[in-house]
Amino acid sequence: MQLNPSEISDLIKKKIENFDANLEAHTEGTVVSVTDGIVRVHGLSEAMQGEMLEFPGGSYGMALNLERDSVGVVMLGAYQHITEGDTVKCTGRILEVPVGEALLGRVVDALGNPIDGKGSIDTDLKSPIEKIAPGVIARQSVDQPVQIGLKAIDSMIPVGRGQRELIIGDRQTGKTAIAIDAIINQKGTGIKCIYVAIGQKRSSIANVVRKLEEHGAMDHTIIVVASASESAALQFIAPYTGCSMGEYFRDNGQDALIIYDDLTKQAWAYRQISLLLRRPPGREAYPGDVFYIHSRLLERAARINAEEVEKLTNGKVKGKTGSLTALPIIETQGGDVSAFVPTNVISITDGQIFLETGLFNSGIRPAVNAGLSVSRVGGAAQTKIIKKLGGGTRLDLAQYRELAAFAQFASDLDESTRKQIERGQRVTELMKQNQYAPMSVAEMSVSLYAANTGFLDNLEVKAVRDFESALLAFMKSEEPALMAKVNETGDFSDEIKNGIHSAIERFIKTSSW
Amino acid sequence: MTELATLARPYAEAAFKRAKQTETANAWSESLLFLSVVAQDRDLIAIISNPKISKDRKIEVVMDICQDQIQDEAKNLLKLLIENGKLQLLPKITVLYEQYKAEDEGYVNVDLYSAYPLNKAEQSNYVAKLEKKLNKKVNATVLVDKSLIGGILAKAGDKVIDGSISGQLHQLAKRL
Repeated sequence: MQLNPSEISDLIKKKIENFDANLEAHTEGTVVSVTDGIVRVHGLSEAMQGEMLEFPGGSYGMALNLERDSVGVVMLGAYQHITEGDTVKCTGRILEVPVGEALLGRVVDALGNPIDGKGSIDTDLKSPIEKIAPGVIARQSVDQPVQIGLKAIDSMIPVGRGQRELIIGDRQTGKTAIAIDAIINQKGTGIKCIYVAIGQKRSSIANVVRKLEEHGAMDHTIIVVASASESAALQFIAPYTGCSMGEYFRDNGQDALIIYDDLTKQAWAYRQISLLLRRPPGREAYPGDVFYIHSRLLERAARINAEEVEKLTNGKVKGKTGSLTALPIIETQGGDVSAFVPTNVISITDGQIFLETGLFNSGIRPAVNAGLSVSRVGGAAQTKIIKKLGGGTRLDLAQYRELAAFAQFASDLDESTRKQIERGQRVTELMKQNQYAPMSVAEMSVSLYAANTGFLDNLEVKAVRDFESALLAFMKSEEPALMAKVNETGDFSDEIKNGIHSAIERFIKTSSW
Repeated sequence: MTELATLARPYAEAAFKRAKQTETANAWSESLLFLSVVAQDRDLIAIISNPKISKDRKIEVVMDICQDQIQDEAKNLLKLLIENGKLQLLPKITVLYEQYKAEDEGYVNVDLYSAYPLNKAEQSNYVAKLEKKLNKKVNATVLVDKSLIGGILAKAGDKVIDGSISGQLHQLAKRL
């Protein structure tokens, strides 16, 4: 929207005309000390926990510690101009951020201000960042899948709409890559995505944004950024901000997917704030409520039933359930999952995708450890065809792992053991997948079917991936109707089974891989 | 400042309770006001904070200044404060004491800031309005602050009711 100067002055004139100055009553306090973004304020006897406080120069703070004579405030943004004796005003509002469809395709900071240079965000809707999670009555069990688009995950560790599935692993194991693939794969599914970057380098965030734009995935995505250079307070609230934006979609009968990348850094930021506020340190110097900051955040990811959606939208949306699926990311140090924060988040979530450096370095990407990864509720939500075909994969890999260690010592193996190992090697090879190349249900089904029925057993291990890509290209050009049908229904009927089987046989006859 | 309030609270509370018991709340109030002025005197602060001077000598000096201006029990409080090395708390104790007194007697102390001096009628008009708004008796002190431009601003403890021109200009600036 372009305005010329005379229009602007007209607008201002109108605003001044309509300005209705009312008697302003508020509570005031004075700044006693400013230390590392923590401000101690004397007075403010009526401040609320989590209330926004107005400082001179247009900065805001959030009241965190309410004490007898003073209030401990964390500054949101710049605090360099705050001096002792400054007046602080109560605003009577809990911290709020803009929400709504208008945020899709935008990059915002932890307070919901746009930082992508695309102008202001056109929404009047606001939502407090801290909300209580939906109650027991409002919820519905998870029974629809979120397709991540990675064979290794969708077949063995399925994620359902409304589930909380943790992605955990050391640095450089491809945690963010899984999250980005998940976002790209939601294109056209109607699932809105929110990517919350906490304490990351700005360069890597810019990379993520660019990749999403390249793959046309920004249109259904909101990116919330609290980079490493921003204050600890902003890094602490960023996940709640993203969650409120996701809850808007959930409460309006839509499905949303939120990625917190990563919660370890949020816990660090919170530890910093807590120590500066002189709260007593506990294990690993984290404050006593570090479990609660994550549990209350992840509890807000849920599936709510149609009645609740109807109630929340005042009857505007009927007969639709809403969901917010969360993929929190935790970075471990040296594979130590028994550190404080990882154990906490593992116990809160409905399962975890465990990534390992060893696997990653040996070329198995995504580096998912199939033995330690679980999904506690996703099985109920899995597409029928993937569930049928993926069950075998999990078993093959489990048996392979058991035998592989043992087989290193033995030179002569009996026929069945050797077969088991060879199958395992091929399935492991098949589970490898390139980044930014998510697969549809039909593509996955064909690959898994080929592995399950032994079509891969006669191939060289090295040839498996070439075989797969050639097979999928063949299916795409020769059997588009069958593929579309699988994608649409997700059933594993005899008709589909025979269709896939005969198509693979025809493909093998061409021996074109 | 915060820490001072925490330290001063027990003294103020004790003084007020004693005053209420002996029904000398107003006399105490005057004594404390006098003492807080004395305690803020720069020369006296220099003496009090000098570690070379003994506590007995300090008490002697302060008593000499006060003489008959304050009642005996207030003198005891003064001795106690010097013994504990907490004489700098006196101004804060006075403020807290006044708060307790106001709370107990059911009125609020309000500072009325105005851009120009108020006449009697105006003042009583504002006081009546404030009493209605705060649901309490108002004990108003009028102060002149030219920076308000016009209107008045009332401060009751932490609470601020801003009806001044400058406050409205700030509101307008924020809205724009």
